[in-house]
Amino acid sequence: MAVRFVRLKLRLFAGGLRAGGWRVGLFVIGSLLGVFAAVLGYVLFSLPGLFGEQRTAELIAAAGGSLIVLGWVFLPLLYFGVDESLDPARFALLPLRRPVLLRGLFAAALVGIPPLATYAATLGLVHSATALGGVAAGVTELAGVTLGLGLCVALSRAMTSAFATGLRSRRSRDRATVVLACTAALLGPIQLGAASAAENADWRGIARVTGVLAWTPLGAPYSLGLDVAAGRAWAVPVKVLIVAGSIALLLWWWSATLERAMLGAAGSAGSRQRASTRTPVGQLVPRWLPRTRFGALAARETRYWWRETRRRTTLISFAVVGVFVPLLLLNDASEFGLGAMLVFIAALGAVSLANQFGFDRSAYAANVVAGVPGRVELASRVAGFSVYVLPALLVITVVMGVVGDWLAGVPAVFGTVVAAYGAGLAIVLPLSVRAAYALPDSTSPFAMNSGAGPAKALLSLAALVGAALATLPLQLVGWLLADVWRWVGLPIGIAYGIGALALGLRLAGPLLDRRMPELLATIS
Amino acid sequence: MTIPQQRGHADPALELRGLVKRFDRKVAVAGIDLDVPAGSFFGLLGPNGAGKTTTLSMAVGLLRPDAGQARILGYDVWADPPAAKSRIGVLPDGVRLFDRLTGPELLAYHGLLRGMPADVVDRRSGELLDVLELGAGNRTLVVDYSAGMKKKIGLACALLHAPRLLVLDEPFEAVDPVSAALIRDILQRYVSGGGTVVFSSHVMAVVERLCSHVAIMAGGVIRAGGPLAGVRGDRSLEDVFVEVVGGRTATGSELAWL
Repeated sequence: MAVRFVRLKLRLFAGGLRAGGWRVGLFVIGSLLGVFAAVLGYVLFSLPGLFGEQRTAELIAAAGGSLIVLGWVFLPLLYFGVDESLDPARFALLPLRRPVLLRGLFAAALVGIPPLATYAATLGLVHSATALGGVAAGVTELAGVTLGLGLCVALSRAMTSAFATGLRSRRSRDRATVVLACTAALLGPIQLGAASAAENADWRGIARVTGVLAWTPLGAPYSLGLDVAAGRAWAVPVKVLIVAGSIALLLWWWSATLERAMLGAAGSAGSRQRASTRTPVGQLVPRWLPRTRFGALAARETRYWWRETRRRTTLISFAVVGVFVPLLLLNDASEFGLGAMLVFIAALGAVSLANQFGFDRSAYAANVVAGVPGRVELASRVAGFSVYVLPALLVITVVMGVVGDWLAGVPAVFGTVVAAYGAGLAIVLPLSVRAAYALPDSTSPFAMNSGAGPAKALLSLAALVGAALATLPLQLVGWLLADVWRWVGLPIGIAYGIGALALGLRLAGPLLDRRMPELLATIS
Repeated sequence: MTIPQQRGHADPALELRGLVKRFDRKVAVAGIDLDVPAGSFFGLLGPNGAGKTTTLSMAVGLLRPDAGQARILGYDVWADPPAAKSRIGVLPDGVRLFDRLTGPELLAYHGLLRGMPADVVDRRSGELLDVLELGAGNRTLVVDYSAGMKKKIGLACALLHAPRLLVLDEPFEAVDPVSAALIRDILQRYVSGGGTVVFSSHVMAVVERLCSHVAIMAGGVIRAGGPLAGVRGDRSLEDVFVEVVGGRTATGSELAWL
């Protein structure tokens, strides 16, 4: 039975590939990245064994293994999206007993590039264990990493299933999304903090931490064979128990949430607020926007960046990254270095618009039928988003200036930041028209169609690099001119940003005019 | 922009010539010619998958045809989109609206998008919300509306700028009888005021009751069309439909186990 689920997933995957050339290209790129990660992981994990370093091997197994498990929980939520091609809700009406369904979905989840890459990478530990402790250690380690893969998959499935379906009404779901986005976005900074803490810590401290990790479900599966090699064979059954117990618990949890997932989400109750007394236009368009087409579009965009969960998640992740990353790097960075960091963050803000049309899905038809000119459409979208991002960038710059004690340099640095934001937008706008992709109709804001993950990552990367390059001259001039720049940096930067944006609109506007129906077809 | 030439009343409200659309290798619409006379109430009939939605999407500029032309009140949809689009109101299939807005906000959005002055948008939105019983001060987001309410707000958005042609995809699907009667009344009033309605449906009773003209589609082509009386003859529309489309309507010896 489980085989059928795997076959179904493979068939869905093949169907996706048949859809078009770029899908195949993305699949190839995704596979290459997977192979790269697998090889890198394998080498890292096998090296200590080859050099006969038992202590280092144990350390790397526990720490690396824990990171892999944690990565399986958070990476899908944060970056790659969850593969919902086998959504449990689609099996709701089939007379399948829950254990059968569970086994099937689990088996299907084991198929894919990430599980394969993970498994291949952790096989390096088997190599290591064999080198250190002979065949017996190797075989035990093989069982360990296999258990580890099961743990990773069970954990990620249970987490996403619980998250996507535990909250039934739209309102509470929206709220939870925001909470999760905050937590998830905070992880990066915490990781950085941990890394800088590790730099200062001594090796003995690290060894103690990994020693503990090796006894938690996070590290236990990966240290089995190394225990044998070190002559602690008695630890193996205990650790197997720990891991198997964790997997069983996770599967039980998953199975409980699965039922709710199959029932689907219920709608929330009707209105509970007092009726508005303002006119319809007054309700839509705030006072500081003109009551025109542009005003209506921009007003809808500002509303949507807050009311739509996917967008709000994007916005919050940006805010957290924008505030915490520079703060963490503050210790060892000059004004110039921080400026470069802020440029990166401004570009990151612009990248949020890379799939701006994808957020709208088929609702975009309204704008196509109304025949909104491309340049008005794009300019209003930039305006609606900038309402949030520009003040945020200003606050971040000022905070950095205050904390880093270079307040006098704030205006010039902010000029560079605006320039980077404008340049980022100039690159992102044509991309958002040409390279839009559809987002699935799922309750989870993190869900992606299989294959779209690499697209998202590639688009973002291209825009980030592009924006950094585009503002490089400005940064160089600022660095060379130093003192004068403090006075002229702000106006020049703003002019540069506006110029870049105008260029981007000039490029993307006519493009959108020509491609409106095609764009609609791509995203709906 | 060129000055549009003087158009006589002879121009049909909607004129399709040789429209073709292929998806991959499947031909969804295989060369459609259709004239919708101005002032008519036009029903486009067909079984599921006949190509109704594809045809209407191409007619209003949402989907680019592989070949053929679509003209609205004499303006070519694909050569001069602004002129054509400003004259139509559309209720797309499945009513995917910008549903994170409230009803009044959505109406204001559509009105301003069409370039209407704010005060006119306010006045008309208020009337439409009242008539359709959606509530002018209602702060419920459209995403939380019921299916019938979503259809009604979608229709209000299509009507707001007083277009001369309304194109509605399945306007009566998933609507309760009371709302359906209200929508019917609004549409009849709109037609008697000189407007033209084109809508797709596969509910014969509604079509027979409302339409002055019908066309029956199947397999991507028009199988029959013209004034309702001419198409129907002295039979019921349902009989004509089944005969034209040619599906089976009764079981034979199979399914004996039922």
